[in-house]
Amino acid sequence: MVELKLKIKAQHLTPIEGEVLTPDNLAGKSVNEILNLETWRGNRRVKLSELFTVEGESASKPSDLHLILEGDLRKVRHIGSRMSAGKITINGPVGTFVGFEVTGGTIVVNGDADAFLGMGMSGGVIEVNGNAGDAVGSGYWGTRCGMRGGLIVVKGNVGAELGCWMKDGTIRVGGNSDIFAGVRMQGGTIFIAGNVGAKPGAAMVNGKIVVLGNVPNIPPSFHIDEIRPSTKVDGDKIQGPFYVFYGDITEGGNGKLFISVEKNPHLKYREAYIF
Amino acid sequence: MEYLLKNGYVVDPTNKIDCERKDIAVKDGKVVESVDESRAKVIDVKDMLVMPGGVDLHSHIAGSKVNIGRLFRPEDHYKDYEVKSGVRRSGVGHSVPSVFTTGYRYAILGYTTVFEPATPPLKTLHTHEELNDIPIVDKACFPLFGNNWFVMEYIRDGKLEECAAYIAWLMRSIKGYAIKVVDPGGVETWKWGGTVQDFDQEVPRFGITPREIVRGLVKVNKMLGLPHPVHIHANQLGVPGNYKTTLRTMDAVKDLASGDKPALHITHVQFNAYGGVDYLSISSRADDVADYVNKNPHVTIDIGQVIFGDTTTMTADGPFEYKLFTLFRGKWANTDVEVETGAGVVPITYSRSNYVHAVMWCIGLELALLVNDPWRVFITTDHPNGGPFIEYPRVFSWLMSEKARERVLKRLPRLARVRTHLRDIDREYTFYELAISTRAATAKILRLTNKGHLGEGADADIAVYNINPKEVNPSLDYKLVRQAFSRAYLTMKDGEIVVKDGEIVSAPVGRTYWANTRAPKDVEDVVIPKVKKLFEEYYTVRFENYYIPESYLACSAPIQPLEPAG
Amino acid sequence: MICPSCGNLCDDNEVYVEGNKIVKVRTECAISSSKFLNYNKERNTKPLVRMGGQFKPTTLDDAIEQVARMLVEAEYPLLYGWSETSCEAVKKGIELAEEVGGVIDNTATVCHGPSILGVQDFGEPTCSLGEVRARADLIIYWGCNPSSAHTRHMKRYASLSKGRFRLPEQKKVVVVDVRKTPTARNANIFVQVKPNQDYELMAALKMLLGNEEIEEQEVAGVPVEQIEELAELMRSCEFGVLFFGLGLTMSEGKERNIDGALTLVRELNKWTKFAIMPMRGHYNVTGANKVLTWQTGYPYAVDFSRGYPRYEPGDTSAVDVLSRGYNDATLVVASDPVATFPKDAVKHLCSKHLAVIDPHISLTAFMADVVIPSSFIGIEEGGTAYRMDGVPLIMKKVVEPPEGILPDVQILDLILKRVRELKKGR
Repeated sequence: MVELKLKIKAQHLTPIEGEVLTPDNLAGKSVNEILNLETWRGNRRVKLSELFTVEGESASKPSDLHLILEGDLRKVRHIGSRMSAGKITINGPVGTFVGFEVTGGTIVVNGDADAFLGMGMSGGVIEVNGNAGDAVGSGYWGTRCGMRGGLIVVKGNVGAELGCWMKDGTIRVGGNSDIFAGVRMQGGTIFIAGNVGAKPGAAMVNGKIVVLGNVPNIPPSFHIDEIRPSTKVDGDKIQGPFYVFYGDITEGGNGKLFISVEKNPHLKYREAYIF
Repeated sequence: MEYLLKNGYVVDPTNKIDCERKDIAVKDGKVVESVDESRAKVIDVKDMLVMPGGVDLHSHIAGSKVNIGRLFRPEDHYKDYEVKSGVRRSGVGHSVPSVFTTGYRYAILGYTTVFEPATPPLKTLHTHEELNDIPIVDKACFPLFGNNWFVMEYIRDGKLEECAAYIAWLMRSIKGYAIKVVDPGGVETWKWGGTVQDFDQEVPRFGITPREIVRGLVKVNKMLGLPHPVHIHANQLGVPGNYKTTLRTMDAVKDLASGDKPALHITHVQFNAYGGVDYLSISSRADDVADYVNKNPHVTIDIGQVIFGDTTTMTADGPFEYKLFTLFRGKWANTDVEVETGAGVVPITYSRSNYVHAVMWCIGLELALLVNDPWRVFITTDHPNGGPFIEYPRVFSWLMSEKARERVLKRLPRLARVRTHLRDIDREYTFYELAISTRAATAKILRLTNKGHLGEGADADIAVYNINPKEVNPSLDYKLVRQAFSRAYLTMKDGEIVVKDGEIVSAPVGRTYWANTRAPKDVEDVVIPKVKKLFEEYYTVRFENYYIPESYLACSAPIQPLEPAG
Repeated sequence: MICPSCGNLCDDNEVYVEGNKIVKVRTECAISSSKFLNYNKERNTKPLVRMGGQFKPTTLDDAIEQVARMLVEAEYPLLYGWSETSCEAVKKGIELAEEVGGVIDNTATVCHGPSILGVQDFGEPTCSLGEVRARADLIIYWGCNPSSAHTRHMKRYASLSKGRFRLPEQKKVVVVDVRKTPTARNANIFVQVKPNQDYELMAALKMLLGNEEIEEQEVAGVPVEQIEELAELMRSCEFGVLFFGLGLTMSEGKERNIDGALTLVRELNKWTKFAIMPMRGHYNVTGANKVLTWQTGYPYAVDFSRGYPRYEPGDTSAVDVLSRGYNDATLVVASDPVATFPKDAVKHLCSKHLAVIDPHISLTAFMADVVIPSSFIGIEEGGTAYRMDGVPLIMKKVVEPPEGILPDVQILDLILKRVRELKKGR
């Protein structure tokens, strides 16, 4: 892949619009043309040259372009928006909406990402070697539809409402998740290696959530099904044993929660309800 | 400011002008006989189609339920937005556009008058605040009466004079234009969780039937000389087999008509022209409805055409919206309004491959094509219930071209084609008929004597479309028709150019029409104090605070009703 | 007279004026009488500008100039507040935000914003307050305390009101809250829910309504038998209404709690007539959201920086804009964020240019660089406002404001005019 490196020149106060920063938008352009592209800093139109230094060159096709972004990018929003091919590597902490409505390609964040990572994603891969914020893999307000495909991997922790309204695809979390993981889930798979906050899977109608760590409570609208020795996440075998809950019954749901038996002794009383 | 629009092909059905090359002279906001060519600004509209500005009598653009639709559909807005530029404020569009965008987009379609067809009196200040903010177009709103406690009680007790006095007081207090009825008796029934199953079923606790409500209101309308017939959204909307209720509703007031003057306008009849017994067997009964309309001059209708795609249903028919919710299990908003009425909002996506939607699509067009007299059938989509108003040009192209219809028909489920009549209809609208149905006739039924035509003295509300009616065959080149009507070459409002080549160049404030209605003073003097007394019991606002001062209309345009009859 | 205090927007108060002063008020509400009688106390009557760390009086022209410059120079200004002013002022505010390419947000962002988010996913089965009074036989107050915050709510609209079809003795009141509030003490039934577990309780109610078994003895600290009773009460009433407040919107879960409440009430419509209504706090917070919605398409957190309205609550909402440190200037109108916002947000707010339009030296005004005094809506200035159920009313003017004090709408208009002049010059 051809590498194009953009290094942010300075710390910014006002938010910078990162929609233009995708292989789709930068492929087939000369470095000069790229430097002359305009974006927003707050309400001002600014050239990329004002914000970034550029090293390397662009590729002619998006799928051949590896865009590398460096520096403190916490004020840069919507990087990788609607990306369809190629790769973006972000070396540094980054702002909100990384990978908004992405359809293909790969985004790697070496740092912490902010909220709304992968909102509306329908394909591709997003990998965060750090933490992410709230509403990872959710959908735009009012759509009642979150992530529809693709893979999100967060090595660290995530915030609340992970995979809200998620329809398909996979989210893997290496650390902990805050409350309402997988709320309103409609399909797909969520895997959390660490602990989750209260009410995982609330109002889910389909899909699968696997939790290796501690869960303070299961929503009362789930029933316990059985104890299983192991389960699979995208073909990988995950060792249990797991309490398997199904629900959300108030939604007529067929979703499943796989909760670690070992890490959740306070759920032992539910075994009495196993038929 | 004087203008001369030269060399266009004028279509002005009110004045029996059909694609004649004619110059239109404009002075001081009015169409005039002539202007001094040396002083006037000459606009060459050679070979283009010149029509009066569009008059849309039924489009949900302002008020409480429309705003609920806007509020709960951010996903409807975020991909369709308008950037602020020049005189144009920013906004969002699609099925429930923001107010500025609504006015601009209507003007770009060449429409200059748009009426909001349903407003709950208690919240009509909200409707007016939104109407005030809709630029360019002239507008009005129709207050809802068909489930109003006062109205039902007066009619039940045979007190029609008192009812007329009450309605007169209310109409001028809240600045309404005409009597709107939605699901008479049904919304009050819904407030207890039920629905009206039958036109002659009693409303719980009120001892009155929908038939009686409708008849009473038609009588009152005559007494008050309001500028529009009673505008009704019939009972059982959306229910398979409801065409019978529609026929009974129209027939119920046949004896109340005076001469050839329409006594009743039934709106978005497509939703009320269904045969069958359930959604599996739903079929078109547009032929029966059209047949009745053809034989009975006392009714007018508008079609409520469906457009395939995503849109938002919104109506005062709360029970119907609940039913949609039980079908789709998606979003559902409901707001019952004390004493008066209710509303419901449910997003919907009409799909070609859905049998029911395909039948609905056929029915709307059938109604327009089977009713012979274009002066009595008007083209609407019941925006946004059938589809967004920006799709009107698509409807025009379907009406003007059998080929365009065929293109859609062949992709519909076979059973839908079998259970409807559209495939057997070859009638095609002419530009003349289109102008009648979207301008001349709608202005006439609203008694807007200065609108819908280009005769001397008319408001200079003019739309010029870049299409040559002498050269283009709409039957074959329906795509050109659609394109031309989607972006007016020129729109003029009160003699001011507002749209030039599809762009907004000026955004003046439009008028808000309202009927300054009065009943005989001696009756009002008795009735109003009684209303005031009951107010405290019925409402949670005070009588004094119900009134909307004229100053709250950005540009108030009261209409004097005709002298009360008899 | 319509009272400009809370979302009840009671319109039956009597106010007696002598000369240019309100001398007496006849009202049933202590908050209302206090507002009408004391509004003039401790108010600021001079435009102020901060110089050398101190407030110095200045002319209105100078203050307007400073605010206009601040907004024009800002790259991402935040215009916040809007809930205690007229709709006319909100409209001006929107026009101003659009002109300067900033973010406009109102107090819903820390109050019923989650309710709005919930409605955007599910809709809202609701009604006007007169419907509640006429028909409701079951009233539930969940996570709100009207006895203290909306004092006349029960008597005017709910459990103590006389309705056409329902007398007060035919109305039952249930209060669900984390502690026994004054409202709870007067209720027929009080359900004490564990903090942050309202969602669980609602899920349990839905389970029981659907005749499903719950695999617990108690949920959210409430024994299942008690939840059963509540479910049965809800199912068997003729017309139930659920009023809710910050107990749901601002406890853990926020808009998910509202999701729970909205879907619970939707389900109940299978069996009976049930409605839900948020207890909106400020007298025109509802109006501000309504105006924002009809003019921009979005109810709050509207970002105009790119020349058109964008809505990303959680990123374009005031607390988030401040916490992330996005904005370089703030104009606060008719609100007091320093008193209510989280610490990080307040810190950033005070570290950047801050202008305030308010009748009082609020905590926010105290931290501002420019303060412009304004008049009181509903007393010194008319305008439209919207009740918590969306009923619009016209606020009245009965006395003149002190010399030189203008209403918000006029102040904003002057700022807008000056902004346009400055932009032309640039």
